[in-house]
Amino acid sequence: MTGNSGRPRGDQQGMAGSSDCDVCREAVSAALDGEAGAAESARVDAHLAGCAACRAWRRDAEAVTRRARTGVVVGGPDLVDRVVGAAPGLRARWWGVTARAGLAAAGLAQAVLGLVGLLGAATHAGHGDDPLVLLGAGMAHAAHESAAWNLALGVAFVAGAIWSRHLAGLMPVLGAFIAVLAVLSGVDLVAGRVEPARVAAHLVLVAGFLLGLAVVRTTPRPGAGPSPGARWRSRPTEHGAAPEGLRAAAPTGWERESDVA
Amino acid sequence: MDDARITALALRAREGDRTAAGEFVAATQHQVWRLLGHLADPGVAEELAQETYERALGSLRRYRGDAPARSWLLSIARRVAADHLRRRARRPVAPAEPAEDDRPLGRAPQPDPAESAAVRDALAALDADRREAFVLTQLIGLSYEDAAAVCRCPIGTIRSRVARARADLVDALGEPGAQRRSG
Repeated sequence: MTGNSGRPRGDQQGMAGSSDCDVCREAVSAALDGEAGAAESARVDAHLAGCAACRAWRRDAEAVTRRARTGVVVGGPDLVDRVVGAAPGLRARWWGVTARAGLAAAGLAQAVLGLVGLLGAATHAGHGDDPLVLLGAGMAHAAHESAAWNLALGVAFVAGAIWSRHLAGLMPVLGAFIAVLAVLSGVDLVAGRVEPARVAAHLVLVAGFLLGLAVVRTTPRPGAGPSPGARWRSRPTEHGAAPEGLRAAAPTGWERESDVA
Repeated sequence: MDDARITALALRAREGDRTAAGEFVAATQHQVWRLLGHLADPGVAEELAQETYERALGSLRRYRGDAPARSWLLSIARRVAADHLRRRARRPVAPAEPAEDDRPLGRAPQPDPAESAAVRDALAALDADRREAFVLTQLIGLSYEDAAAVCRCPIGTIRSRVARARADLVDALGEPGAQRRSG
């Protein structure tokens, strides 16, 4: 103890409120763990200087803690071989990498198809009047729309392979598009309105969709599962104990309302 | 092993590195086992530790590394212990038969030999919340902040629980031989 040597029993005078001692002991406990601030430690010292009971308590608490900690502890089962099988295997990783590479490739192929379509539409548009106009758009513009859409999907695939966290949001759109396109392609094939090669090009889309699903499955999902994140830190007080705003927030002196369990 | 390294191992294990997964288990299993011995009871600590790792490694893919992996793991262990106690409360007479064949090296599940029986009893007699806070900060060695993350409570709660646990232990263990050399 700093300072006051020999104050055998003058400390009891004034019956230093036992709640003072409770508050002090909590701070002493924190100080033993290196979790008390400097200002708080100074207040603790001031109280300890005048309270033999708390000084004794500190010694006892220190001793008890030391006994409980018991230095180096050996023993315990070795679980490594039994549980390591539950860990994600290398296959999972390989699969994830492969799926992303495949998705990027599908994206590039899709972008090339879009560009080819764009060029084809451009040369076609040079031939003057469009014989067929549908819903306000000539064949040339319909081809432009289709090419733009194909190009966009290619870009989306490549971007999804790189920033896979955003990929999940694309899947419903893509799924719906592929489903509708599949039905229409079937109808058009039967009616002879489209060449099989053109329909076959749609398979790139299907491949991209499936690879996208695979990538989504192998990517850690934000917010899912027991991954403890920031929300831990921001939780307000739960039951019981007052959140004595440690360190800085503690008001002057030891005033604080009673602190019973 | 420090927290950053343990977290790095967990992240490598998430990517399918089984060696890292093994090291992650090896680096943390003693603490997990010890914590479970105090939160549940020593007789089932091994079984519960195994369950903890099965859960943790199984959901490792969703671990994002934004909290220390050790805290993440210990919070899973804590939940495993809570589930165990709830199960046990529901059917009180369920003597879990010891699975002999599960026990490598024929080692019986024994309480930590280095803790004296008196200390162990005193710890076991503590209020559950206080015991948890005390074990996490003193025996496992977590900071108050990490212990608060594991328990999902404010730091101040950990702080007061630790202090009360200490007070209870002082009362229970008394230090009759402590030299009073004040002054």
